[in-house]
Amino acid sequence: MRLTFGDTRLLALAAGAIAVGVVLFLNASRKQRKRKKLPYKDESDTVYVVQIPRGKKVPSPSPFPIKLETYLRIAKIPYENVFARKFSSKGKIPWIRHRGKDVPDSQFAIEYLNEQFNVDLEAHLTKEERAMSRAFLKMVEENLYWALACYRFIHDDVRKADYPSVIPTWALLLFGRRIKKYAWGQGMGRHSVEEIFHITKLDFEAISDYLGDKKFLFGDKPCVADCAVFGMLVQVVFNQTYSPHNALIKNEFPNLERFCWTMRNAFWPDWDQILAA
Amino acid sequence: MGLRGSKPTFDDSSNVVYFIQIPLRGLRVPNLSPFPLKLETYLRMAKIPHESIMISTLSSKGKTPWIRHRGKDVADSQFCIEYLNKQFGVNLNEHLTKEQQAVSRAILKMVEENLYWVLVCYRWFFMNPKDMGLSQNIPSLIFAFIRRRVRKYANGQGMGRHSQEEIFHIGKLDLQALSNYLGEKKFLFGDQPSETDCSAFGMLAQFVFSNIESPHCALIKKEFPNLERYCHTMRNTFWPDWDQVLKGDASSTKL
Repeated sequence: MRLTFGDTRLLALAAGAIAVGVVLFLNASRKQRKRKKLPYKDESDTVYVVQIPRGKKVPSPSPFPIKLETYLRIAKIPYENVFARKFSSKGKIPWIRHRGKDVPDSQFAIEYLNEQFNVDLEAHLTKEERAMSRAFLKMVEENLYWALACYRFIHDDVRKADYPSVIPTWALLLFGRRIKKYAWGQGMGRHSVEEIFHITKLDFEAISDYLGDKKFLFGDKPCVADCAVFGMLVQVVFNQTYSPHNALIKNEFPNLERFCWTMRNAFWPDWDQILAA
Repeated sequence: MGLRGSKPTFDDSSNVVYFIQIPLRGLRVPNLSPFPLKLETYLRMAKIPHESIMISTLSSKGKTPWIRHRGKDVADSQFCIEYLNKQFGVNLNEHLTKEQQAVSRAILKMVEENLYWVLVCYRWFFMNPKDMGLSQNIPSLIFAFIRRRVRKYANGQGMGRHSQEEIFHIGKLDLQALSNYLGEKKFLFGDQPSETDCSAFGMLAQFVFSNIESPHCALIKKEFPNLERYCHTMRNTFWPDWDQVLKGDASSTKL
């Protein structure tokens, strides 16, 4: 079969398209391989905590990395932070890597680490106290979290909150739009500003009333719920100091601020040194 | 089953509380949603005169249930309870200490903001629709449409991002907490019921009475039998007419 001039031109175009495709694919693979080169030493026992970079006022603008890091410090588990905008398989941060295994979600990470390192921060609690600990953990992470997220991203200007400078403003605003959508589905986003403030106040009141004069929620030893409460409250007490929630804590629930200082002094003595300059 | 149903006529001059819930009458529970069951249990516990209306009209927040009282519409079961507490001088938590009231709130939120999503994910993603125990079949197109929306909400909330095993595990830990806190007690905080019992019952009844094919029902029977005992206690105390409600006319019941 003899090729016409048209056939040749078509073949040349096809070959060119394939070549471009191959180059693009190789380039993407190279970028993928470059992204994958994070500093994990999977043969060591080090726990790598992947989270977004430090803020200037708080170690993280998100409560969950602070919860997880506080747990690691209390449990004295050797860990190394990996500050990267690399989200977990569930699309969130923080997540951990240990001996080549990735574990997303702060609570699943804690359960995994409890098993791996034979840790139980709740060993000293009674059965009822463990139950209450779970309830407070869930109230803080599944209710208070949404109330505070609505305030930060929807009711107020998110640029006032302390975020690492590597996160551009447009990314914050885009994330805020996503939070608004999520909060609608979750339910909190359907309430008014006043209703959400009221819900926040009731949650603060519950934590404050249960804490009372105690050092930690359940006495003199901290547990996982303390880590979660701390991670959440520092966003109000140290991050968004301009917020009405901060004034509410100062005026009506001062033991919550006292609790934050207790946790910070006990487990984050390097707080000032590790914050971003 | 349209979601923008007709508005009934209310007598706004009377003191009757109109309690509006969407017609999700189950074969084994008065409502397949835990929140109407919670609110109606509260109304019975607080002995507030109410008229139950089953229509497809959602609240101003797009949810069920809601109430109307003296011309005022109140959406969200918890805001309804706070409103009714004020209007009728009710305080079902009066006998609790400050610490117990704090724990009451924490348990309320664990049940409604965490265990609820375990229930939702299991019902809509992992169970056979026939096992939902609905008194009338949802056409499969509508079921698929609702499931898509539920998946979007569950992913945004977070629970939807976990695997089935992980969601089962999260549900188990919540049920374990409830069981351990309840212990041998009649109600959550002793011999007198309180507000959070309404919510806990509304949610647990879904697992214990409705989703009888679900692994959580089997788990309760095997490992947390006091939760089943508790559901029967609540049902016998505040719903002596349970079977009549399930069999009877679903449009309105007067107290």
